[in-house]
Amino acid sequence: MNKFFTMLKTELKLSFRGMDMVIFALCMPVVVAVILGVIYGNKAAAPGAEYTLSGIPLLEQQVRREISNSFLEQSFGALSTIAICAGGVMGLPLLISDYRQKKILKRYKVTPTSPAFLLAVWVAIYAIYSLLSLILVFGTLSLFFGCRFSGSFGIFLLTYILVMLSMFSIGLMVGGVAPDTKTASVIASILYFPMLIFSGATLPYEVMPASLQKAADILPLTQGIKLLKASSLGLPIESVWMPIVIMLAFMVICGGIAIRFFKWE
Amino acid sequence: MEETIRIKGLSKSYDGKKVIENLSFSVAAGEVYGLLGANGAGKSTTIECVLGTRKADSGSARILGLDPWKDRKRLFEQVGVQFQEVNYPDKIRVKELCEETACLYKHPAAYEKLLQKFGLTDKRNAFVNELSGGQKQKLFIVLALIPNPKVVFMDELTTGLDTKARRGVWKSLQELKEQGLTIFLSSHFMDEVEILCDRIGILKDGGFVFEGTMQEAVGLSPYEKLEDAYLWFTGEEETDNE
Repeated sequence: MNKFFTMLKTELKLSFRGMDMVIFALCMPVVVAVILGVIYGNKAAAPGAEYTLSGIPLLEQQVRREISNSFLEQSFGALSTIAICAGGVMGLPLLISDYRQKKILKRYKVTPTSPAFLLAVWVAIYAIYSLLSLILVFGTLSLFFGCRFSGSFGIFLLTYILVMLSMFSIGLMVGGVAPDTKTASVIASILYFPMLIFSGATLPYEVMPASLQKAADILPLTQGIKLLKASSLGLPIESVWMPIVIMLAFMVICGGIAIRFFKWE
Repeated sequence: MEETIRIKGLSKSYDGKKVIENLSFSVAAGEVYGLLGANGAGKSTTIECVLGTRKADSGSARILGLDPWKDRKRLFEQVGVQFQEVNYPDKIRVKELCEETACLYKHPAAYEKLLQKFGLTDKRNAFVNELSGGQKQKLFIVLALIPNPKVVFMDELTTGLDTKARRGVWKSLQELKEQGLTIFLSSHFMDEVEILCDRIGILKDGGFVFEGTMQEAVGLSPYEKLEDAYLWFTGEEETDNE
């Protein structure tokens, strides 16, 4: 275990020095949260604040406030996946292919370490980013826009970890088998941008036209976000098994391929 | 004498071109073995096939009685490797790289002591990127010694080092040799080979043109110096005396 933490500590330091994950996994979700908050949030959400929308009766204001807040609250689940997306689909594959191209993996091959150990260390790095981002996004939404968390925190966290592992395994697979950094970055971009935009992570699923929603449903992250929304809002979700099975299938298949076909060089 | 490295009939070709062909040799425990040859003679490929970072087309390699493919983890607990090209992450410090390497082994050597031995102690907090070529080379020798190995492989040991640094490295390796370390190195510097090696193998076009002690090499050639003998074996001797 000591081995794991020594490695994790150094790799995490290197990652912070690299800055890109700090920007894409930590800053970006907060920025998007603030933008959505400004557009959809209600500034009068703070208790006791008077805010008169010209001529609108108080009760209706209350209703509007509720609606806008619930909109932001249901976005929380989606926003919390931006870091997962950045780390898993962008960070992980690029890191692994970069290490392979620089022949760092080749050096590891002549040490008593295993691919599974190295992959676990890297997964842990991006898991830390994702969890930090989760805290930052929730902090931003609750402090500045008065959002509340009405679901079960335990179930939400479990779902979050499931979505995370499932997304990360896609990244591991890409990084594990892509022949070079260039290919890895092309595949990563092809996965990252559509998922970031169309799965509801940044652009809310609810504002998409029905046809786009249908297309988005194919993306595994869309399913994950649905689960996260339901668990963060404490809503019952019908056909909860389907998304879970899809997520698990991605995790097992992609993770398995990543370990089985791992290339040191 | 106990055999540390045993290679039998190793062959490897890339794209139909044979790089090494039917190589066999063995290195005894505590011996320093030098693999010589011009660039492209197959030195690096030989080392890689022995270590298992490349899969040989045929033949077998045993290090400390272990198969580098099947017993990879057990084997590399006891083997140190320095590759020709330096490979480390961006923005990593000397100390961090040592720490990260040491943590992979069950019984690592104290890297602080090794850094001191190679005169890198004052560079421990420097970025590896900022080191000079010679310092990097020394650092990679340090990394190869961190496992507390029974045998080390060193590809192009002192290429890129200045005279003083080379001598420093030789001295350290001689000390390690006295402590019983088996060393397998590739080189194209005859002075280095003469000082360090017990036995040599000279590669040309993927096969041995000579294998044995240096005295034997010189004895078999019409010359008196190893360098001349080496060029005679590889057929690169100058025909005209200018």
